Amino acid sequence: MGTVTIEIDGVSLEAETGSMIIEIADDAGMHIPRFCYHKKLSVAANCRMCLVDVSNSPKAVPACATPVADGMKVLTNSTKARIAQKSVMEFLLINHPLDCPICDQGGECELQDVALGFGNDVSRFTEGKRVVQDKNIGPLIETDMTRCIHCTRCVRFGTEVVGMREMGATGRGEHMEIGTYIEKSIESEVSGNIIDLCPVGALTAKPSRYKARAWEMQSTAGVSPHDCLGTNIEIHHRRGEVIRVVPRENEKINEVWISDRDRFSYQSVTDSERLTQPKIKKDGQWQTCDWETALTHVCDQLNNIKQSEGVENIGALISPSATLEEMYLTQKLMRGLGSHNIDHRLRQVDFSSQFEAPMFPGMEFDIDALEDMDATLLIDADLRREQPLLALRLRKSTRHGRVMSVHSGEVENNFKVSPNVSVPASDLLAQLQGIVAALIEQHKEVSAELTELFVDIKPTPDQQTIASELRINDNACLLVGQSALEHSKSSHIRWLAKTISDLSGCAFGELTAGANTAGGYIAGALPHRLSAAEESNICGWNTQQMLQKGLSAYLLMNTEPELDSSYRDAARVSLLKSKFVVMMTPFAKGEFLDYADVLLPIAGFTETSGTFINVCGEWQSFTAAVKAKGEARPAWKVLRVLGNLLELDGFDYVSSQEINAAVKERFESTTDARVGHFQRPDSLESGGEKPRPLSMYDMDSLTRRSLCLQMSVQGQDNWRRDQIEHLVASQSLPETESPDSLINLSASSAESETASLQESSDA
Amino acid sequence: MAEIRNYTMNFGPVHPAAHGVLRLVLELDGEVIQRADPHIGLLHRATEKLAESKPYNQSIGYMDRLDYVSMMCNEHGYVLAMEKLLGIEVPKRAQYIRVMFSEVTRILNHLLWLGAHGLDIGAMTMFLYCFRDREPLMDAYEAVSGARMHATYFRPGGVYRDLPDTMPQYQASKWRSEKNAEQLNQARSGSLLDFLWDFTETFPDHIDDYETLLTENRIWKQRTVGVGVVSPERAFQLGFSGPMLRGSGVAWDLRKTQPYEVYDELDFDIPIGRNGDCYDRYLVRMEELRQSNKIIKQCIQWLKNNPGPVIAENYKVVPPSRAAMKDDMEALIHHFKLFTEGFCVPEGEAYAAVEHPKGEFGVYLVSDGANKPYRVKIRAPGFAHLAAMDEVARGHMLADVVALIGTMDIVFGEIDR
Amino acid sequence: MLLKLKQFFDTFFLVELLKGLSVTGRHLWKQKITVLYPEEKTPMSPRFRGLHALRRYPNGEERCIACKLCEAVCPALAITIDAGPRQSDGTRRTTKYEIDLFKCIYCGFCEESCPVDSIVETRVFDYHFEKRGEHIMTKAKLLAIGDKLEPQIAADRAADAKYR
Repeated sequence: MGTVTIEIDGVSLEAETGSMIIEIADDAGMHIPRFCYHKKLSVAANCRMCLVDVSNSPKAVPACATPVADGMKVLTNSTKARIAQKSVMEFLLINHPLDCPICDQGGECELQDVALGFGNDVSRFTEGKRVVQDKNIGPLIETDMTRCIHCTRCVRFGTEVVGMREMGATGRGEHMEIGTYIEKSIESEVSGNIIDLCPVGALTAKPSRYKARAWEMQSTAGVSPHDCLGTNIEIHHRRGEVIRVVPRENEKINEVWISDRDRFSYQSVTDSERLTQPKIKKDGQWQTCDWETALTHVCDQLNNIKQSEGVENIGALISPSATLEEMYLTQKLMRGLGSHNIDHRLRQVDFSSQFEAPMFPGMEFDIDALEDMDATLLIDADLRREQPLLALRLRKSTRHGRVMSVHSGEVENNFKVSPNVSVPASDLLAQLQGIVAALIEQHKEVSAELTELFVDIKPTPDQQTIASELRINDNACLLVGQSALEHSKSSHIRWLAKTISDLSGCAFGELTAGANTAGGYIAGALPHRLSAAEESNICGWNTQQMLQKGLSAYLLMNTEPELDSSYRDAARVSLLKSKFVVMMTPFAKGEFLDYADVLLPIAGFTETSGTFINVCGEWQSFTAAVKAKGEARPAWKVLRVLGNLLELDGFDYVSSQEINAAVKERFESTTDARVGHFQRPDSLESGGEKPRPLSMYDMDSLTRRSLCLQMSVQGQDNWRRDQIEHLVASQSLPETESPDSLINLSASSAESETASLQESSDA
Repeated sequence: MAEIRNYTMNFGPVHPAAHGVLRLVLELDGEVIQRADPHIGLLHRATEKLAESKPYNQSIGYMDRLDYVSMMCNEHGYVLAMEKLLGIEVPKRAQYIRVMFSEVTRILNHLLWLGAHGLDIGAMTMFLYCFRDREPLMDAYEAVSGARMHATYFRPGGVYRDLPDTMPQYQASKWRSEKNAEQLNQARSGSLLDFLWDFTETFPDHIDDYETLLTENRIWKQRTVGVGVVSPERAFQLGFSGPMLRGSGVAWDLRKTQPYEVYDELDFDIPIGRNGDCYDRYLVRMEELRQSNKIIKQCIQWLKNNPGPVIAENYKVVPPSRAAMKDDMEALIHHFKLFTEGFCVPEGEAYAAVEHPKGEFGVYLVSDGANKPYRVKIRAPGFAHLAAMDEVARGHMLADVVALIGTMDIVFGEIDR
Repeated sequence: MLLKLKQFFDTFFLVELLKGLSVTGRHLWKQKITVLYPEEKTPMSPRFRGLHALRRYPNGEERCIACKLCEAVCPALAITIDAGPRQSDGTRRTTKYEIDLFKCIYCGFCEESCPVDSIVETRVFDYHFEKRGEHIMTKAKLLAIGDKLEPQIAADRAADAKYR
């Protein structure tokens, strides 16, 4: 594609042929008003707000739908353009209700801004305005459809980005309405993005409804704690309370989108019952105490158990969504005590290849490279459930490429998958082996041992197709899904996947649980490795062993093993049976009240600073947006003090940045960059099983406690719903209190009205 | 021989004649001033910084509180600077209203000055008489703006509301007979303009009374003649303005030399002194009272004959009327945005000065194109006057300091800002 | 010479002082301009900006819709509002509406900004506080003042309607 030279408002600009005027203007920082145009959506040109004056055109033309041509002269501020913009604005406001004072969008409304900047200042319209009935589209999004200006951004987002045609326009002209055709909830797991897209207040966030105005809120950059992508978010808070979460643009990771759980999970920290003071269980009764008492108690008990039962009877389980700093300090604490029973791989079942694992499981290519893939093989990945934004990326690649999937159980994708092989978990290995066999068939030079191993396997046509697609296309990759790791033969799956990748030459990627599995590996929150993948002399117990065999004392770092792990039944038994359980949690309610002995309140995800390392190895640090509630403290501080009290060395950090720097130094000085060399097994395995997958809003303690997510469509089919602590609804508003004491008005005369007011207060 | 040392003492900040929170450190040789060192800052409220932290229109109320005895004149300087940057037209009627109230403010200021100055150097009666005359003017303030002092009445583009057609009336009661109330209400039977007209009719006689009390009074003359003489050259060099400058014989008045609003259409004279002493400055201010009275009369006549809008009809800056706001989408949006975000002022800088009762009151605005000023600098006349205290007071007696403070018409609201 | 003589005469016989005394003497017999405050007050303009009040609609529904314009425009940051959907009907209402009278500068911007004529400034100017914290006008207090003074408030708004 060549470039042409155009002129906008007298400024000469280089433009690529085929690009639209508005893109060039945006790149040059020139503002053209718009409603329907959005850089991530297709051009609709239905709002007509971006009309500009183009030389040789008798009428003003929409800048979003007019391709540039050489020598084109564009005027965005000529009389012709201004008259056109004013007229459009007038039409848009004709049917817009006088809602600004009660509209949540007020103050950040594109309609207001454009009306102020480009519209008339008085209306000529005196007739009645139309009214559109509001739709109930679920617990996440509030609608006020009378305010809708029919820009169709939400409709286009559904069809183009999500691939689910949930919203649409019915009727024409004045009778046009945007809605869900039939009354139903929006089911998409990224539906919250239409709140950001909506230029007016027609679609607003329900959980934060009426809570705050845009100008009152402060913004802190954060990273979402839900999936391994490290979605960039912006936390909006007012007077120390988080009001909402919105996306922070990062073209390499999340573009401009975030998933609903990134957006609404803050509810768990703001609205659910929080632990605000340390608690100790005495004779089966919970008693609040101060930090010193609680921490000393923890130290004493740990030391006692170390004395009486041996240090190998103490273990720590860490949430895979804990920050790098928390993971590092927890493992340092445990190893300082002498125990190597540390693990953050709560959902993993098969640990047989843990010594061969790479520095951290992850993707060999960037997230944004996914949209350019010509062929992608998903191995037991349910992207919409596990990494919704990755599904949006991959969906982009289906415009030109092909996505293939081999998975167990039911998986719904929002893009075309072919072949789409769905088998029972026990057949998953056979399918992958078939693909390897097909590759060996198609390949010329394969080692004899490998050929020998797969000699008996006859690939099916689907497996042939998958194999050839991966092999033929230069831009090809395979992704091992998060749930593949929960398979009881996950080591073998990994080896097979790696073999497919090696034979076909496609890129290899593994998707991991939580926000910080990579961080867990690097921090050394593993029984067999120290930080930065240094091999440990002693191999401690992994999650499976800790929960199934049972320990005397557990340190639970922001995790509820009975819900988070794959061994929930075993976890319950072991935890109840153990002598001492220290629970570090931000929440006050949960099953842990039964088995824990000490509760240490820690800060929620918006209240702590830290670092997440995403699946591509990107280190993303963030700061606390608000102060932790009550006596709760960021977990790294708690661990640091605990380390001091246990008289361990190297617990003198004064900031999370210092801890981060310590880990980073170790990470960067590691010479032997570990590449996962999965050993070829002696024989092929078969069979295997997988625990039932967790539903989308059951994966971590945050989503489980977020009321609006639990009420959404995905939340409602949580199969463990009855076990999930039900959060009592509503942020109930206190009714107007009775006037306690009215202001004292000077009461020198019975006749003055002010004085009688004083009487009323006395009455 | 005994060692003779100068005596250093504090004059203020709680001295009743220090006019607020002036702390004057005086070095005395007996009773003769060797050095006068004014200490300021006790009333510093960071008005300039405060104005830089909020949208333009929200700072109008803070301007009132600079020189809190000439409220609307301070607002005047601020809105003129804003208008200069915004480049908006102010309706003629609004200009007349502003001029009228600027002059009302001048009378208010000079009356307070006269009362307080008189009180300081022994003329107790003045204080009571002057406050009596301030009362109708305060009522006029209240009638237009709703506040007797801190009016917040001037707006960029004009004034907030038109002058009211009726004045509130005295009610007959247990303590006031029907007849007495009626008598008091005579001046209040018409509009605000009638009420003010009534004031301007009687006020010159009151000035005559004051002059009878003071101008020829031997004590008054003894306290003021020849005290604090400033030559015209020194007055220039010291940055004097207003009556302080004119008292030294310099014919400089911004209303004449660089007329703003409608001053060029009005007929009035600028009084100047000859000797540059406290007495001349007193005479200048007394004459200014008469001239202001004359200007108010002209304004009332014009305003009675020329109804019309009192604020620019540019709703990108001026909030629309309440009626429009309640049933007009465009108006509501503009109302909403103007009261939350305010208006954005084009990039640039502007200095606007008004002839404030105390001298040249200027506001220097720098805009970076945002809705808040990038920088606000307020030129307060009293600051320059107070700075000359040392020079003016040197060699005078301690008692003369009181007369000097009085003649400088010091108000700490504007000096400390 | 004549002028000199007159000057001497004037000075000697205290002429200017006697003239002055005659002014004060005349004032002795003039009508008093003072009023018997607080029994009586000077007339007040309907535009007067005094103590705040929150108004209700005639049907008893509070007017305030928690739009927060007053909070945004308040130069002294004296107003604090918390809002949320009302439990009974989900409408936008304040859960907290407080004016700190120590911060307030009585500029009247809150009243100007209010799109529903809810927050108003009344004629009440003489009030005092006896305990710490009483200067915070809560929503309940403000509504009570509004209820008490509604006839006067409504009359004042009506009288001034054509100017706003």
